[in-house]
Amino acid sequence: MFAFVDAFPRVKLNDTATVVFVLSLAILAFMVSTPAFAVPAFNKQTGQNCVACHAGGHFPDLTPYGRLFKLTGYTIGKVAQPVSVMAVASVNKTSSTNSSDPAFDRRAGFPKDGNLIFSTASLFFAGRVTDHLGGFVQVTYNNYDRQSAADSHWTSHWSSDNLDVRLVDRYFGHDSDLIVGATMNNNPTVQDAWNSVPAWGYNVVPGSSGPAATPLIAGGLAQNVAGLGAYAFWNKTIYAELSSYRSAKGFFSFMSKGFTVDRGDKVFLKGENPYWRVAASHEWGAHNAMIGAFGLNAKVYPDAAEPIGETNHYRDTGIDAQYQYILDPHAFTMTASFIKERVNYADSVANQPHPLDPIELLGLPLTNAADTLKMFRAKASYVYHAKYGTSLSYFNITGSSNSALQTSAFDPANPGELLSGSQGVGGNLAGNPATRGWTTEVFWIPVQYARIGLQYTMFNKFNGGSNNYDGFGRNARDNNTVFLYVWGAY
Amino acid sequence: MNTPVNLLSAVTIMRKSTLTIAMATAIAALFSGCNSLERSRSLSNPAVTATVIAQQVCSNCHGVTGNAESPNFPNLAAQSETYFIAQLNGFKNHRRHDPAGFEYMWGLSKDLTDVQIVGLAAYYAKQKPKKISTASSDTTLVAEGKKIFAEGIAASQIPACSACHGADAQGQAAFPRLSGQHADYLVKQLMVFQRTDERPEGSVMKGIAHLLTPQNMAAVASYLEGLPSK
Repeated sequence: MFAFVDAFPRVKLNDTATVVFVLSLAILAFMVSTPAFAVPAFNKQTGQNCVACHAGGHFPDLTPYGRLFKLTGYTIGKVAQPVSVMAVASVNKTSSTNSSDPAFDRRAGFPKDGNLIFSTASLFFAGRVTDHLGGFVQVTYNNYDRQSAADSHWTSHWSSDNLDVRLVDRYFGHDSDLIVGATMNNNPTVQDAWNSVPAWGYNVVPGSSGPAATPLIAGGLAQNVAGLGAYAFWNKTIYAELSSYRSAKGFFSFMSKGFTVDRGDKVFLKGENPYWRVAASHEWGAHNAMIGAFGLNAKVYPDAAEPIGETNHYRDTGIDAQYQYILDPHAFTMTASFIKERVNYADSVANQPHPLDPIELLGLPLTNAADTLKMFRAKASYVYHAKYGTSLSYFNITGSSNSALQTSAFDPANPGELLSGSQGVGGNLAGNPATRGWTTEVFWIPVQYARIGLQYTMFNKFNGGSNNYDGFGRNARDNNTVFLYVWGAY
Repeated sequence: MNTPVNLLSAVTIMRKSTLTIAMATAIAALFSGCNSLERSRSLSNPAVTATVIAQQVCSNCHGVTGNAESPNFPNLAAQSETYFIAQLNGFKNHRRHDPAGFEYMWGLSKDLTDVQIVGLAAYYAKQKPKKISTASSDTTLVAEGKKIFAEGIAASQIPACSACHGADAQGQAAFPRLSGQHADYLVKQLMVFQRTDERPEGSVMKGIAHLLTPQNMAAVASYLEGLPSK
């Protein structure tokens, strides 16, 4: 799926946002002054600090214990007050906010560049319900959701976020340990216990930068689907899961609140769509490692406004690995994943006229009947004393070129003349999704429920090119982004 | 931005979501049985037995048989029951407040009953220790540690560890078993005794650890980690 994962919308603080942000800081200051063992819902349930489940206290990297806590359905401990809150304030600064595209509107393209914003907040209901039942339900508030075309006024929006509810049992025999469970969730891989999968591995901080095009399994169905699955984890070694995803509608519509066709963030699947996952895990001393594979076979209606008829057929297959070394005061986590996607388009999408040549007068190529997309990502993070940390990640997306992606093209009949339907700085001259780059980060965890991070994302390639990727002279490095955030949870 | 309306819609979403999940939960609970004492992970139910708690909760870090894979967590197999009970009570009443203790153990021990604590001590006391395969192969260091353990360091007036912990470091009563314990854990605890008052019930160790050098600690910990399991 091709979805532009831009840096968060940027705008100058308006009065309300300022009040909310100042209040957030006040709450944070209050939290700093209180004892360090009262934090989000799971901590209220077990009484343990973040470092018990998160490597070096670095959310969302899970420790071996954190993985077992999740796979046993979040049921360790006692039934506790289940509500938690999370909020993020951030500043984004993009290398270049200019474009020679005559249709480019800087105010619309980079409305908040360089300004501190209170970007998102979440409410969680999380924790143990019974000995066998537990989960978490997240609802997120986006302070800068939409900008009015008329007066640039921003509107906020509440919507469903990740959800994972489990029914679990665990059996011990002579030299054997078997966890069996069922999961209900709304984002393929959100139920996974390792951090090499798309939902938990990369660009997790709200607002951080990343590749423009990612496979469907990497967030393309998030909060649009309802998944039901069964899994088993044997002797802390072999994990296997089989799930099925369908559109989150009818009874399951509560998993997809706030996502609508009008907003353009709605996706509909045809019928049941299988997801599978296998992993082998081993722990030795302070080390642990996992190697695994996963896949999703999904039929997506090309037009969410008319979810009938033929579908685009996505086959995503991934392999992933993780290595951890955790021995106080050191916590090191390294993850890698490679996902290959093959899409076969419905007849209504395949072999269609070029978007810039709708009546086929110019001789521009038709759109593809099928595409491939490959994504490799790797990340290493290190935390010292659960306070000071750094991470480095690499992403490389390659794929087939498709004229459907072209927002500009040279006119075959008039060499040098550029045909364009302006996309601001997200244009694509090559019709190719290739994007490659690095994100490096340093962060500080002054108290266990707050993190201050500084990220720098560097693009070597963007939308198929290093230089002039949009036809208007914009280079991949112009999208390099500095991102500063303050992330708190309570 | 209209905050009251937005909050209202959030509450509506949460209320609907909660309602639906509550229904799903009720249905699931009907089919699954709400609770089962035999496989409970509850830490606030006095009816759950120590064996179930040891398997369903403690095993995640300390191993089913009290042999922890990660040196972050101490081995508990064959540990002295008196010492074990004192530690869990120390966590529960916050007397023991070394960081690793309060980060992991304060919450878990908070609602354990005396019966459960005694039961856990008995469960681990009867487990068989495993020899740590990654123990140090530095024979010089191990020999130095063995000497300190058996004879102490006369020049520093450090008594022999074996005097209290037993000739085979098997522990006795309030003195913990050290044989086969993770070296990293032992060194960290010696540092806690030497530099802090975070384990007041072990104050006797403060005077002993006071003059131990990092090299002394590494040596004795390496020796103890590699001791055969008995």
